[in-house]
Amino acid sequence: MSAAVLRRAAAAVGPVPLGVGLALALLAALVLAAIGADWLAPFDPTRQTLLQRLRPPGHATASGAIYRLGTDELGRDLLSRVLHGARVSILVALLSVSLSIVVGTLLGMIAAWRRGWVEIVIMRLVDTMLSIPAILLAVLTVAVLGPGFLKVVMVLGFTRWPRYTRIAYGQTLQVASLPYIRAAELAGASSARILLRHILPNIAGPLLVVATAEFGLMILFEASLSFLGLGIQPPTPSLGSILSSGRQYLDRAWWLTLVPGATLFALVLSVNVFGDWLRDRLDPRSRSR
Amino acid sequence: MPRYLAGRLLQALIATFGVMTIVFVVMRLSGDPTLLLVPEGASREHIDALRRELGFDRPIFIQYLSYLGDLLRLDLGDSVVQRVPAVDILAARIPYTVALASAALLVALGIGIPVGIAMAVWRGRWFERPLAALVLAGQSLPTFLSGILLIMLFAVTLRWLPSSGADGPAAIIMPAVALGALSMSTFARMARIAIVDELSKDYVRAARARGLSVGGTVARHVLRNAAIPVVTVAALEIGNLLAGSVIVETVFAWPGIGQLAIQSIQSRDFLVVQAVVLFVSVVYTVTSLAADLVYAWIDPRIRLSPA
Amino acid sequence: MLLRSFRTVILLAAALGTASLAGPVAAQSRDLVTVDLPNDAATLDPHLQWDTDSYTVYRNIFDNLVTRDASGTIVPQIATAWTYVSDTVIDFTIRQGVTFHDGTPLTPEDVVFSIRRIIDPALRSPQLSQFDQIASAEVTGPATVRMVTKSPYPALFAQLVKLSIVPKAYVDKVGAQKFNLEPVGSGPFRLKQWQKGIAATLEANDTYWRGKPPFRTVVFRVVPDVATRVADLQTGKADIVRGLSPDEALTVKKDAKLQVLAVPTERIGYMFLNTQAGPTQDVRVRRAVAHAIDRTAIIEALLQGYGKAVDVVLTPANFGFVDDIKGWPYDPARAKALVAEAGAAGQKLTFLTSPAYDRRVVEALQQMIQDVGLKVEIQTMDQPTFLRRRQGRPDEAGSLSLGRWSCACQDADGVIFPLFRSGSIWAKYANPAFDKEVDAARAILDPKQRLVHYRKAFEILRDEVPGIGLYQDFAIYAARKEITWTPTANEAFFLFDMAWKP
Repeated sequence: MSAAVLRRAAAAVGPVPLGVGLALALLAALVLAAIGADWLAPFDPTRQTLLQRLRPPGHATASGAIYRLGTDELGRDLLSRVLHGARVSILVALLSVSLSIVVGTLLGMIAAWRRGWVEIVIMRLVDTMLSIPAILLAVLTVAVLGPGFLKVVMVLGFTRWPRYTRIAYGQTLQVASLPYIRAAELAGASSARILLRHILPNIAGPLLVVATAEFGLMILFEASLSFLGLGIQPPTPSLGSILSSGRQYLDRAWWLTLVPGATLFALVLSVNVFGDWLRDRLDPRSRSR
Repeated sequence: MPRYLAGRLLQALIATFGVMTIVFVVMRLSGDPTLLLVPEGASREHIDALRRELGFDRPIFIQYLSYLGDLLRLDLGDSVVQRVPAVDILAARIPYTVALASAALLVALGIGIPVGIAMAVWRGRWFERPLAALVLAGQSLPTFLSGILLIMLFAVTLRWLPSSGADGPAAIIMPAVALGALSMSTFARMARIAIVDELSKDYVRAARARGLSVGGTVARHVLRNAAIPVVTVAALEIGNLLAGSVIVETVFAWPGIGQLAIQSIQSRDFLVVQAVVLFVSVVYTVTSLAADLVYAWIDPRIRLSPA
Repeated sequence: MLLRSFRTVILLAAALGTASLAGPVAAQSRDLVTVDLPNDAATLDPHLQWDTDSYTVYRNIFDNLVTRDASGTIVPQIATAWTYVSDTVIDFTIRQGVTFHDGTPLTPEDVVFSIRRIIDPALRSPQLSQFDQIASAEVTGPATVRMVTKSPYPALFAQLVKLSIVPKAYVDKVGAQKFNLEPVGSGPFRLKQWQKGIAATLEANDTYWRGKPPFRTVVFRVVPDVATRVADLQTGKADIVRGLSPDEALTVKKDAKLQVLAVPTERIGYMFLNTQAGPTQDVRVRRAVAHAIDRTAIIEALLQGYGKAVDVVLTPANFGFVDDIKGWPYDPARAKALVAEAGAAGQKLTFLTSPAYDRRVVEALQQMIQDVGLKVEIQTMDQPTFLRRRQGRPDEAGSLSLGRWSCACQDADGVIFPLFRSGSIWAKYANPAFDKEVDAARAILDPKQRLVHYRKAFEILRDEVPGIGLYQDFAIYAARKEITWTPTANEAFFLFDMAWKP
C-alpha cells in the first residue's frame, strides 16, 4: 500500500471530527506506551514476589519500591504487566490481521481474476469457513497446533481470512471490468502486475475498513482464548490473560480488573470509533449527497 | 428463480460438506476422548482396549467414511462420553439457544436501531460520534468480563436478577444484554446508512418541501423502507450471535449450544461437536439464503446472481 | 399494530419484573437444596463414567458394596460381612431387606450382576481397569456371594467402595441406554428428572434402609465458570458449590451467611520429572529442581494454607504413606551448585500444563526453578492434548509437569505404581529395583509386609527424583452456614451425610 493510496484515502475521508480525533489520540498514546514498555515499565513484568501479592495501587514496600498500580496474584507489578500486555495484545492483533488480510485479499483477487474452477473452489471454501463459528475453529486448531505466540497469531489469521476474500472478490470483479484494466491487459501486463499495481490500490479502502474492525475483534479474540486457557503462554502477559485471571479477584483486588479492563476497552473502542468513522466516509452510500 | 434456488442449495450442500470434513479432520488430529474417560492409573492395555471398543483405533479415513455413511442415513451417531444419541443432546439445547439469540437480537435492535435513526436524522451534529461510540462500546469489552461485571452488579450487589441459569424469564436478561451488546453497532450502522439513503430520496425532499416535520416523515415513510436492509442484516447477524454465545453461555451457565460446543470440544466428544457445527452451519446457510431471497423479493431491482 | 406490540412489551416487562423479584429467593426453602457443579454428569449409569461431576450425582442414587466411614475405614454397606476363604477367594454376606426405587428387593443376584457387568468388556466401561482383577463372582446362597480375584489383590476393597449395585431385572428390561437416562438404584435419593446438560433433580427415597434422607429435593445445576458459582452462592441461587480455588474460598469466607468446607484429600499435588528425555535425564538436575522448590511459600501464599506439604509422592490419606522419609529441602544455593555441577546452566526445561492445573502454582514453580539457573518454558494445552503428550513417548512428554493425582482408592498401589513402574504410560522412568518393590507390594495382603516394600520404594524415588511430592490437595466446597457436612478425603459427595442445622 503505497503513499499514493494513503494520500488518496486521506483526501477521500476529509477532515477529522473532534470525537474521532480524540479516539486517534488515545490510540496513539496507547500504542506509544506499548512500544515503549521496555523503558516505561518500572519492573520486570514477569518477576514475582509472592510476599507482595495483591497489593493495592500505590503500595510501597519496605525496600522503597512503589507499585503504582498495585500487584497481581503472584506479586508482579501491574503497571509493568499492563504495558507489556498491551504490547503483546496489539502485536497479536496486528500480525493476525496482516496475515488474514494478505491471505484473504490474494485469494479473493485470484478468484475474481481467474474465475472458473479456481473461483468455485476458493469461494466455496469461504462459505465453508464463514459458517463455522470462528471461536470454535480457533479452539480446535490451538488444540492441534499447540500453544505459543506465533501459533495464536496463525490460528487467528487463518480463521479470519474469508472476510477479506469476500470483499476483495466483489471489489475485484467490479474493478476488473474497467476500461483501463482491459487496456493494461491488452498492453501485455502480467496478471500479477495488474492485480498488484492496478487493482489492489483500487480495492484497498474497503479492505482497510474491515481490517480496523477486525483489529479490535482480534484483541478480544485473543482475550477469549486466554479465558479458555489457550492464549499467549504465561508468564508473558497479554491484556486478555491479565484480565481473565484478574476477574477472579473482583471483590478483593479491583485494580486487577479495572486497569487492564480499562486499557483494553480504550484500545478496542478507539480503534472501533476510528474504523466506524472511516467506514462511513469511505462507503459512498453513507456520504451526504 | 427455481434454477437460482437449486444452485444456491447445491452450494450450501457443498459448504456444509466442507464444514463437516474440516471439523472431522481437525477433531481427529486433536486426539480422542479415551484418555479423558479412563480413571487415573489405567494401564496401556485398558486404554487401547477401550479405544478399540469405541472405534478410534481405525484409520481416520475409515472413520470418516463410516461417519459419512451414517450422515447419509441422517444418523448423527452416539456421544461416546454420554452414551446417548448426539442429536438428543443437541436438541435439548436448541430451545435455549433460540431464546437467547432472539432476546439478544431484541436488545441489539432495541438499542441499535434508535441510535442509528438518531445518527441519521441529526447527522453532522456534535453528538453523532459519541452516539456511535456508545453502541461501539458494547463490542469493546470481552464478554467474559462484561458478563461477570453484570453479575456482580445486578445479581450480587443489587439482587435484581438471578446470577445464572435458565429458570424463569428474568434469567435471560443479563446474557441477552451481554450478547446483544456485541451487535448493537452493526444495527446502528445499517439503520443509519439505510435512513440516510431514504432521507435523500425525492419523496422525502418533497415531503419536507410541503412543510412536513422530519420526525413525521421518518415515522411515516422512511422507517418502513429502511427496514429491508436491516432485516437482512439481522438474519446474517445470527451467525455472529451463535459464535458469541460460546463465552456468554459459559459465564451465565446458560445451557445453550455454545456451552455445549466448548464442553464437547474439551471432552473430545467428537460426534456432539460435529452435530453442533452441522447445526450452526445449516442455520447460517439457511438464514443467509433467506435473507437474500427476502431482499430480492422486497426489492425486485436486485438481481439474484449465483455468487 | 403499533399499539398491540406496545402492549406486548408492557406485559413482557411486567412478567420480567415480577420474575426478577421472585427469582433469587427461590433457593431459600429448606426442602430444596441446589448444588452447582462445573459440568453435568456425563452418565448416570454408575458403571460407565468415573469423573467427579458424574459420581457426585449418581453415588447418591446407588448403594455401594462396601463404603468408608468418616475416618476412612472400610465398613459394610450392601455387604454386611466378608471373609477371605483364601488369598483370592472372598465370601460376602449380602444385606437383607434393601429395596430398589422400583420396589424390587436387592438380592445377591443383583450384586453378582453388577460385578459381572462392570468387568464385561462389551459394556465399554472406562472403569474396567479398577475392577479387572476380579476374575468371577457367583451366588452361593440366599444371602451370600463368592468373589474370586485373579491373584492376591490388596487394593480390592478400596476398589469395591466404588462398586455401585444396580438392579438386574430393571437393567435387563430397559437396556443400557435407558438405564443411563433413567437409572434406578437403592440409594437415599431417586432420580426425578434429568435435563441433560442443564440440571439433574433428585428426590428423597423415604423408605431408604439407613433412614430418612436430610433433604426433600436436590438439584444439581451446571455452572462452568467458578466466578459464577461463587456469585450463585452469594445470591442464594445455590446452597452448595464444588471446585473452588483457595482465593475464592477467601471471598466466600468474607460473607457472613456462607462457610467454606475444606478437607485434605487423597489427591497428591506433585511434580513430574522426565528421566528419559531432556536435561532432566541427569539426576543432579532433578535434585536441583527439588532443592529449588519452596513448598511453604506455595502453600502459604498461593494455596492460603489449603494444602499440606509432603515429602513423598503420596498423601497421608493413602495406605503406604511413610512419614519419616524426608525429601530434598528448599536450598537454592545447593540447587545452583548441582546445576553447575551437571553443566546444565541455562538449559531449557519444558513445563507442560493444561487449564486443569492452577496456573499460579505453575508460574510460581517456573520462577523458582529459573532462579537456580535453569530455563523453564511453559506450554499450556487443553487437557486431552496434555494427557496425550504426558502419556506419550518420553521425548514428547516435556521435562516437567504438575499432577493432581487421585486413584480414588487411598492406596499407594494406585499412585506410585502407575506413575513410576516401568512400562506404565505415565512413567518416564525405569528402575528394576523400584519395580521389584511395587510389584511385590501389590501381590500380598499383609499390610505390614506391604509397608516394608513401600518404604524401600519411596527411598528409591527420593534418591532418583522421577517425581517430587509437593502437597496434599484440599477439596474446597462452600455452602450456606445452615448446612452441616464434613467432606471426606475421597472427595465423595454423599448428600445423606449432610444435614440442616436445627
